[in-house]
Amino acid sequence: MGLRDDLERFREVGESRRQDLSQFISYGDLGQSTQGSVQIPIKIVDLPEFVYDKRSMGGVGQGQGGTPQPGQPVGPPQPGDGDEDGEPGEEGADHEYYEMDPEEFAKELDEELGLELEPKGKQVVEEIEGDFTDITRTGPRGTLDFEELFKRGLKRKLAMDFDESYVREGLKVRDATPRDVYEWARNQNIPVSLAWIADQASQLAADELNQWESFEAVEENVANEPTINRLRREGLREIPFRKQDERFRYPEIIEKKERNVVVVNIRDVSGSMRERKRELVERTLTPLDWYLTGKYDTASFHYIAHDADAWEVDRPEFFGIRSGGGTKISSAYKLAAEILEQYPFSEWNRYVFAAGDSENSSNDTKDAVIPLMESIDANLHAYIETQPGGAAINATHAEEVERQLGDRDNVAVTRVGEPDDVIDAIYDILSTEGTTDD
Amino acid sequence: MRDERQLAQKTATELETPVKRARELAEKLGLRPYPVNYWIVDHDEMNELIAYSGFQRRYPHWRWGMAYDRQRKQDQFGMGKAFEIVNNDNPSHAFLQESNTHADQKAVITHVEAHADFFANNAWFGLYSDRGDPGQPNAAAMLEQHAAAIDRYMNDPEIDRADVERLIDAVLCLEDTIDQHRPLLAEADPEDRDLSDIRDQLDELGLSDDVRQNVFDDAWIEAHEDAAAELTLDDPERDVLAYLRDHGLAYDNSQQKAVERESWATDVIDRLREEAYYFAAQKMTKIMNEGWAAYWESLMMGDERFAGTDEFITYADHQARVLGSPGLNPYKLGKELWEHIENTTNRKEVVDKLLRVEGITWRNFHDAIDFSVVEERLQPDPLVAGLTASDIDELLQRIESNDDRFDAERVEAAAAGELDLDRYPWAVLTYTGLSERHFSLTRRHNRQFVSQISREALEREARYMFDDERYETIEAALADINYTSGWDRMREIRASHNDVTFIDSFLTPEFVSSHNYFTYEYSQATGDYRVASIDPADVKRKLLLQFTNFGKPTIAVYDGNFDNRGELLLGHRYNGVALNEKQAHAVLERVFELWGRPVNLMTIRVEYDEHELEVARRRGREPNGTEVGVRFRYDGSEVTEHDLEYHLQEAIEATDVDYDTKPDEWLA
Repeated sequence: MGLRDDLERFREVGESRRQDLSQFISYGDLGQSTQGSVQIPIKIVDLPEFVYDKRSMGGVGQGQGGTPQPGQPVGPPQPGDGDEDGEPGEEGADHEYYEMDPEEFAKELDEELGLELEPKGKQVVEEIEGDFTDITRTGPRGTLDFEELFKRGLKRKLAMDFDESYVREGLKVRDATPRDVYEWARNQNIPVSLAWIADQASQLAADELNQWESFEAVEENVANEPTINRLRREGLREIPFRKQDERFRYPEIIEKKERNVVVVNIRDVSGSMRERKRELVERTLTPLDWYLTGKYDTASFHYIAHDADAWEVDRPEFFGIRSGGGTKISSAYKLAAEILEQYPFSEWNRYVFAAGDSENSSNDTKDAVIPLMESIDANLHAYIETQPGGAAINATHAEEVERQLGDRDNVAVTRVGEPDDVIDAIYDILSTEGTTDD
Repeated sequence: MRDERQLAQKTATELETPVKRARELAEKLGLRPYPVNYWIVDHDEMNELIAYSGFQRRYPHWRWGMAYDRQRKQDQFGMGKAFEIVNNDNPSHAFLQESNTHADQKAVITHVEAHADFFANNAWFGLYSDRGDPGQPNAAAMLEQHAAAIDRYMNDPEIDRADVERLIDAVLCLEDTIDQHRPLLAEADPEDRDLSDIRDQLDELGLSDDVRQNVFDDAWIEAHEDAAAELTLDDPERDVLAYLRDHGLAYDNSQQKAVERESWATDVIDRLREEAYYFAAQKMTKIMNEGWAAYWESLMMGDERFAGTDEFITYADHQARVLGSPGLNPYKLGKELWEHIENTTNRKEVVDKLLRVEGITWRNFHDAIDFSVVEERLQPDPLVAGLTASDIDELLQRIESNDDRFDAERVEAAAAGELDLDRYPWAVLTYTGLSERHFSLTRRHNRQFVSQISREALEREARYMFDDERYETIEAALADINYTSGWDRMREIRASHNDVTFIDSFLTPEFVSSHNYFTYEYSQATGDYRVASIDPADVKRKLLLQFTNFGKPTIAVYDGNFDNRGELLLGHRYNGVALNEKQAHAVLERVFELWGRPVNLMTIRVEYDEHELEVARRRGREPNGTEVGVRFRYDGSEVTEHDLEYHLQEAIEATDVDYDTKPDEWLA
């Protein structure tokens, strides 16, 4: 039905008009998306029309249970609802979205940022049979590689074929014994057997003998036609098929590694993490989650909130929580280590992302966090410092981590001061990972 | 549309009887619908139909894809569950979702019957929908033809498909810039339109000055006399699409100039304009139409228990969902207005009779009358109200005595056992009987209605009344009540009005206050929307703003040779409400594509000076601005802004209608 085409057209329009991912990540509305589906606002999907300015227009409402008084606030104006006969294109254009699944998101982000992260397979989960490209010497008849058999037979034939009439001429040399002929032929690399020569000799008529004075005379006067020419001239009627030439096709064994990833997100929820920092954390961690979900087959997420203590939370709570306490980052890493016991490094790709404003209890970073970071095996440890407005005096966690562990290729430290920095931070983190070997 | 599937077949068979019965009941209630073909469709098909606005095929365009996508998503989450879709062809086609419950299906069927009556009888539909044979609209055919033609252009190797799509996009932006009060056919035969006829018709509608001035002004009337009228500042062309079609050129990018438009392009514009007119009728009568259907559905389903007692709960739920949607709900507003009309008409009838009782005058009306007696007397005859199968004997007696409330033929059929009276008690009643049975003033919530009549209204009723001593007693007067008054009047109205005239005529102060309507405006002082006024006149004006010209600003062509350079001059007929400038700029770019030369748009905006804003902010009041005329010009690459000459500003300025309902001491 034409509607399929129209739907496709709509999707194309959406794709060409959706926000750039970097715009989306830094400034877009992340709230419409879920773990498994990324909704990117589309700039203007609907066609413009001559319409009134909404604010200038005002409207009419109906009070529920009594008439309200002038001056009372009302909710935002709503267009005529209950529209069951459906007229397309009537509602405002603000809430159109282009939907991507995490795979597409990861692909697009790769393109936009110029990344090339290859998801690592960890554990061989199954061996699957691939294409029939391997060859063995035995197998069921149905997998016989006939081409191979023929080629080998042909080679064999070519190798063993010789100009019989030429050799027979040799027999006509004065006083030549089969043995002489044999040696002469062999010296010319003609693959003839003594038995055959002897056989031919016995078939010669008496008047055919002694026609040539010597073998040299034969060589000078008779042409040794190469096999190829003869075959071309005469054609090929028989190819010898030998058992040892038989080859059978066999499927390649491909080892499929399960590409798992577990991501532990850690967030400082202490009193100092106010709205703007909180939002920056969300903008950085959410796309990372999507990216990893898109790249790996199985993704598992854990969320740890901490102030002076750490506790595990659900994703929806993770970005919203705020407590009032002090900060002790190691508590989170201790909890992370516990959680990660379930996910052995040999079987799981592990990512530990922590975000905060770099404030930490004195010495905790040096004494506890850094050792923990060293001891927890992971593809990548990242610390995201959100300190809008520059660093505070005692916010040194990021600095210290960088100093101690910055040269390791599985540790990334990055700073986000404002929305524009987010995409750079994401790039830093993801590209650090790319430098590690499989 | 295949209904060969099991479920569809089963549903179709089950619904055959309800469909027949619904038609029978509808006709008994006075409705005269087009014949309706019912189709059973599945979920996906329903979503597709909705995307295509109730038809099966439309020209290729992404907007249908968008509508389908939206519909599918809304449906997914159980929001905006569409129950039915029906188009206004003759015969009408209605589509029922196979998965709906039985009760829902019946509700839908009764709803559809009422819609079909509206389509068949409303004059505005008649104006636009009749193509070829009057009374024989065939929209499906027209849309099919258009789809096929446009498809051909898209597949034509000589025509760039992208050009076709761009053209359609451009025309769609101007979908509402037609002259919806001028029927399409009148163009063919200008002589047919007799001037005096129009004025008479308009008089009959009893429109208020506001509407008269804004909509059917003298200029409009005169313009229809002379099809080839010159454009003047006093007489701009409202059918912008037609003007562009007839006088526009195309812009050739490579040659960087205006060239003749290709014939396929003009054809596309023409076809899309025709579709715009067709759908204009629907847009212009939405409130009335939806209210009408909701009213009759409710009567048939609720009062006549069309659903059957066991399905009633499901129906109540259905109604709640439909009428409970937030925002300005066209169903609700429409239905409430119809009920108000019914009540006021019935009340007028009752009051008229009561004032003719000896000794009753408009002055002593409220004191002399015992309204509980009135209420009692208005109750329907018990047999009419609650007949069952066991009443067959009495029914036979009634037809014997020629009681015109009973249908003799049907009573006899019931007596012969051909009709289940417990299931379909209404079947033996006539229109007269049914109107008594459902007389609105006897409903519980309407019992105070008669006594609520104002003294002014009473005085008006009595003013020209002669023969005001006709009855000796109240009882005698009430015995003479014509129960069909309400419905008769409703049918008259549904034939002649559109939403604008409907609201203008029937949204009375009584209605506004009893239904708690209010206006709201944006407050710059607080940065949000606040209740502005509960004055009925304000509410009516504000509502009219949403329905006049489809709730969009009126744009007209003022000059086809502006500045003597072949530029187009459009004007926004400013009525106190400003244009959305950003969108207007975007539209101008599209207009350029249809005109081929620079295009201009005049409008008026309100400007505030810094000082005023500061003062207002400090005092927490609304700032006072000045209205300033401005002209936007698009030359193919950018939009520029210019001052507007005074005489032009005058030409587009509103006269005295003010849509701003903010009170003076609003948020003080």
